[in-house]
Amino acid sequence: MLKLQDVQAFYGKSHVLHGVNMEVGGGQVVGLLGRNGVGKSTTLKAIMGLVAVQGGSITFSGHDLRRQNPYRIPRLGIGYVPEDRRIFPRLTVLDNLRTGFDRPGASGARTQELLEQAYTSFPRLKERRQQVAGTLSGGEQQMLAIARAMMLDPQIILLDEPTEGLMPRLVGQIREIIDVLRQTNVSILLVEQNVPMTLAVSDRVYLMERGAIRHEAPAGELSVDDAVIHKYLGV
Amino acid sequence: MNELFQDLVVQMLIGISTGLILALVASGLTLIFGIMDVVNFAHGELFMLGAYMGWVFFTMTGSFWLGLAAAALCVFVFGLFMQRSALRSLIGSDPLTTILATFGISLVLQTAAIWIWGPTVRRVGAAVTGHVAVFHLQFPVYRFLVAVLSLAIITGLWLFMHRGRFGLWIRATTQDRQMALAMGIPVPLVHTVVFGIGAAMAAASGYLYAPILGVDPTMGVNNILRAFIIVVVGGMGNLWGSVLAAVFIGILEALAVIWVSPAIAVVFSFAALIVTLLVRPTGLFVATPR
Repeated sequence: MLKLQDVQAFYGKSHVLHGVNMEVGGGQVVGLLGRNGVGKSTTLKAIMGLVAVQGGSITFSGHDLRRQNPYRIPRLGIGYVPEDRRIFPRLTVLDNLRTGFDRPGASGARTQELLEQAYTSFPRLKERRQQVAGTLSGGEQQMLAIARAMMLDPQIILLDEPTEGLMPRLVGQIREIIDVLRQTNVSILLVEQNVPMTLAVSDRVYLMERGAIRHEAPAGELSVDDAVIHKYLGV
Repeated sequence: MNELFQDLVVQMLIGISTGLILALVASGLTLIFGIMDVVNFAHGELFMLGAYMGWVFFTMTGSFWLGLAAAALCVFVFGLFMQRSALRSLIGSDPLTTILATFGISLVLQTAAIWIWGPTVRRVGAAVTGHVAVFHLQFPVYRFLVAVLSLAIITGLWLFMHRGRFGLWIRATTQDRQMALAMGIPVPLVHTVVFGIGAAMAAASGYLYAPILGVDPTMGVNNILRAFIIVVVGGMGNLWGSVLAAVFIGILEALAVIWVSPAIAVVFSFAALIVTLLVRPTGLFVATPR
């Protein structure tokens, strides 16, 4: 469904992605592991059209994403939850969600369904829907960022370090929501540093180093203390 | 009643009405800056262009209100064109490039106005001509009308931004441009339309000011300076901050006129600007600095 071939990207003059190859199939949860600064977040931004891609191809369900205007990419069914959450701080919780569902061509009934689903998964958001999002706690902001991406009715969600800085109880909640999304047949590309959690929820994982994929394996075949995990993650 | 007190009241009224016209210019300026980080140095010329467009339609139809609608509409379309052709590709680059681009456009527009309409001051008749007696002074009703209209237009903008989908898009894009893109918001279109709205507000303001000031090619340059001061004092990108700052600057200058000549009164605005930059560079009327 989502396929990256030999993707090259730059930040200014520094070459960040050196030919990334990866694939996420329908309904799959795919983990992308690697140390800080190896290009995991940049890979997600490249898919969203938020960094300049200089070479290679990125396709999603038959669409060449490199040729799309960036704002059309989410409308194709790709939700994005960036690492620093990036909720709209001065909008209310509900208005943050509206940026996802209040769009041309969205059906009212489906929107209601998505909203109910998000409120069921994150009851705190329902309680606080009229509150300004910048006043939410870090954990609640993370929930909101995920719920907001769900409002796009996506086929795939790109999750960038959703558990970073969260209490263990909330990490459990993120795992639950990943399972809920999987059940509703939404694919997930999960960028993480939390290895045990990633191996537990993913179907397949990629290990990334210095801007390229170095290893690929079904998650079930890896364990936290495998040599390859040590090599690329140094845990 | 004491004469000073009468002067104070009259000058307060003048200050508030001038302030609200300036608020209309300044809120367009701050809206444009807030969403696309463009400091629009051509804003004064959009103000001037609005006055001319209004004057053209006013002399053709004799209707003040048609003049106002035409001024706003023509300059709205011009703003769309200007943003799309000259600014869109510069957004996100070094702020200096957009400053130079808009400054260049301001020179072109000023020269074009001299070329088309000449340096003569043109007159637009006020929509209402009566006066009310405020103590010893005959205070023009038109000034009240302008104050109310300005406030109504700004309130209309606020409502537009807080109701409906496009307003949500504007607010989201102002807060986080990249994330707005990632939520499927057509950011380039939002930028263009906001620029058009800001231009139309400048135009409406220029036209509303015309019966008081007259219309000439330099009216933009002469008035935009205060709009810039207001935007900084009110906090760049802060709509109600600009309105409060505009009324504040309007009153400040009007009161100063009691003791000093009008030409020197503008010094007080600069003093307010300098104090703001020293004490609260993010703006006097910003609750929490961004």
